[in-house]
Amino acid sequence: MAETATGDHAERSGVPLIALHQVTKRFPGVVANDAVDLTLEKGEIHALIGENGAGKSTLMRVLYGLYPPDGGHIEVHGEKVKINSPRAALALGIGMVHQHFVLVDRFTVAENIILGAEGGPLVDLDRAVKHIEEQAQGYGFKVDARKRIDDLSVGEQQRVEILKALFRGVEVLILDEPTAVLTPAETKDLFENLRALKVDGKTIVFISHKLDEVLDIADRITVLRRGKIVGETTPSDTSKEKLAEMMVGREVLFRLEKPDVDSGKPLLQVEGLNLASKLHDVDLQVAAGEILGIAGVEGNGQRELAEVLIGLRSPDSGRITLDGKDITGRSVKQNRSLGCAFVPEDRHERGLVLNMSLWENSVLGRQSRAQYLGGWGVLAIKKIKELATRLIKEFDVRARSIGNEASTLSGGNQQKLILARELEDDPRLLIAQQPTRGLDVGAIEFVWKQILVQKEAGRAVLLISAELDEIYELSDRIVTIYEGRITGEYSPQDPPEKLGIGMTGGRGAEREAS
Amino acid sequence: MTGAFAFAALIGSVIVIAYGEDPIFVYRTVWAFGTSRPQDFAIVLENATPLIYSGLAVAVAFKAGLFNIGVEGQYIVGMAAAAGAAITMSGLPTALLLPLVIVAAMGGAMLWAAVPGVLKVKTGAHEVVTTIMMNGIAVSLVAWLILHPLRSGVTTTDLRTEDFPQSALVPNLATSLGIEDVIPDSIVHLTWLFPIALVVCVAVWFMMFRTRLGYEVRAVGSSPGSAEAGGVSIGGTQIKIFLISGALAGLVGLNHILGDTGYLGSNYETGLGFSGIAVAFLGRNHPAGIPLAALLFGMLLRGQDGLAILTELPIEILIILQGILILSVVVAYELVSRALARRRQAQLGRAAN
Repeated sequence: MAETATGDHAERSGVPLIALHQVTKRFPGVVANDAVDLTLEKGEIHALIGENGAGKSTLMRVLYGLYPPDGGHIEVHGEKVKINSPRAALALGIGMVHQHFVLVDRFTVAENIILGAEGGPLVDLDRAVKHIEEQAQGYGFKVDARKRIDDLSVGEQQRVEILKALFRGVEVLILDEPTAVLTPAETKDLFENLRALKVDGKTIVFISHKLDEVLDIADRITVLRRGKIVGETTPSDTSKEKLAEMMVGREVLFRLEKPDVDSGKPLLQVEGLNLASKLHDVDLQVAAGEILGIAGVEGNGQRELAEVLIGLRSPDSGRITLDGKDITGRSVKQNRSLGCAFVPEDRHERGLVLNMSLWENSVLGRQSRAQYLGGWGVLAIKKIKELATRLIKEFDVRARSIGNEASTLSGGNQQKLILARELEDDPRLLIAQQPTRGLDVGAIEFVWKQILVQKEAGRAVLLISAELDEIYELSDRIVTIYEGRITGEYSPQDPPEKLGIGMTGGRGAEREAS
Repeated sequence: MTGAFAFAALIGSVIVIAYGEDPIFVYRTVWAFGTSRPQDFAIVLENATPLIYSGLAVAVAFKAGLFNIGVEGQYIVGMAAAAGAAITMSGLPTALLLPLVIVAAMGGAMLWAAVPGVLKVKTGAHEVVTTIMMNGIAVSLVAWLILHPLRSGVTTTDLRTEDFPQSALVPNLATSLGIEDVIPDSIVHLTWLFPIALVVCVAVWFMMFRTRLGYEVRAVGSSPGSAEAGGVSIGGTQIKIFLISGALAGLVGLNHILGDTGYLGSNYETGLGFSGIAVAFLGRNHPAGIPLAALLFGMLLRGQDGLAILTELPIEILIILQGILILSVVVAYELVSRALARRRQAQLGRAAN
């Protein structure tokens, strides 16, 4: 507990609003929370940070009654309570907004908010609308209670989720990675809302791994590592670097040295690409030695773009050329043999065959190459195993044996295996889609470095990511994508707010102006 | 696995006791009828022979994520194709005719499997639905073939083909080895198709785990998305495996017509394809597990003869036992794999700390 800053809390008299005592939660083989003590004070924004799997969400799910704890207890206003369901948590004034919203798309905002809290067989919608709008206005939430959910943006839907909890009279609001789905402008709005809630005396638990945001919004920060609390601090007492070190347990580099490579001639050229209702007139160019970042909120055609480029889908119209050669509509196999490499956003669905061994996975995509085949279509297993051994060593994949199933690897090691495989044989074009999704800080650093190595080696890199940090860190040029259209081109020197305009298809601009 | 067998035996005992019979006696009878004399065990192997082929046919498709319920119809068509080849080319010597008959059986069944395969890949029609329908068509088609073009002209009452020429029949194993005094070939129809079945098991294993095709089949079966991103054609692989599955299905009915009856009658042996599903299941879809599962089923089948003679039990009791056994094995396997996953997670957890 190197950074426990208990000093300035000592004068707070009386009991905390909520106190978790020695809360322990075990899953088979893993201690997700190991005797955790945590207090939440009235009217504070308390950030809970840690790497993936550190136990942040689990701890809050225990508090919200989703998981029964295996040890320890919870006190509310100093009284020991048992919270064995979300209903019980709500009755105690504890609400939670999950990463994935639970809203009925075809219902209006008001209908969603009162759902389950109608208070009788008859529903007075007009009164509910009035009540909700009053409450929303009080906190500066911009929401039209009569709009249908499927007409709302993701940021607006999140506001509805928060209002839903407030409507049920919660005093403690837990937000699980709330900014993961938001554009920079929406994040700004959310933070304003949260500050308004704080002024009104609400307590907010903010789960995140984005350190800049935590330093911006939190009053207190608690750091979890491997299920244990490793420290508690305040933004004024710490820095991004210190927090990262606490989270990971070692020093982490944030600024990577970007190699200075003169971009060569355009290697990948995309002209007028259309795909059903998913992609519209997409034009792109990536030069050798260049990293082009495609920024956008998830679900705006990024997946389809990547799949068209690697050959998993055929475009309806448009032209894709690689080094002047038309590759439109070619198969994955053909594209791969021309030197295209693909790091998919979903490791399990598009990257690895989980119940096959590491050595079998290490050759996926190259199984037709003569060097890995003996005669008669028989696999040259010895050569494939040599390849696997080499890849695992070069990329430091932590595995006991190349005969183990891919499912036995951790997420970070699975991603390393995919990278190792895809970067083998010097590809000319790397399409990397959400390459660090779900990885911890240490693994992210590794993946970023590898992508920069590709640039240095003169390869063209198309980086598709919803994480602006990542886009800024790596890209030479940035384009934004919104509803399947390329909406703008930017440089890494442009501020995130400017990118936000492109990421919302210009709607951000209107908001900024108003 | 042992637990599953014990559990199945226990439930079986309860049923037997309910019938007023002694379960120990029942199990001893089943064991005795399958093992006391060489010829008893030979019958077990004879019973197991078609089940190895049908188990393999189901298993290869399953490895590609496909459920071939149509082995039943495929082997029936295969038998008809074999009968047609044997009768029309009856003048040829064994060295030519027998291989041609076997190829005809495999080809006919393959064709029958190709239809659902193409429908699956081209139109997305689910193979479970189409193969079941193809089963129905196969039964009617073969009934018509036996009634009209292939019908024997010898008698008016027999609904069957003519006898195949001797050169189309698969030699009896006991006769070939000169031990027909120990295993009389008039009773036991254990032919060379049994050792060939074991060779085919090895070939299927090699195909699955040592060739590119098998690699791609397993990748498509386990994770179609990842296979596709790895440049594997999902549709192409599925058609190939349907053809292979069909070819294996074509071998299922051969011991019956080429090793036993010597003709194709309208009362031909049915259900071997469906039993193959159970055999593949019990053998964990692995070419090493399938012969063992087929052996077990062969023994239970032989045991039915004993029970029919020595007890008042309905012979269905052993079919019930088969069902319970499959269920127990499935549950046991699930429990074991969960326990393994827990242990692995525990190890990972320790490693992480």
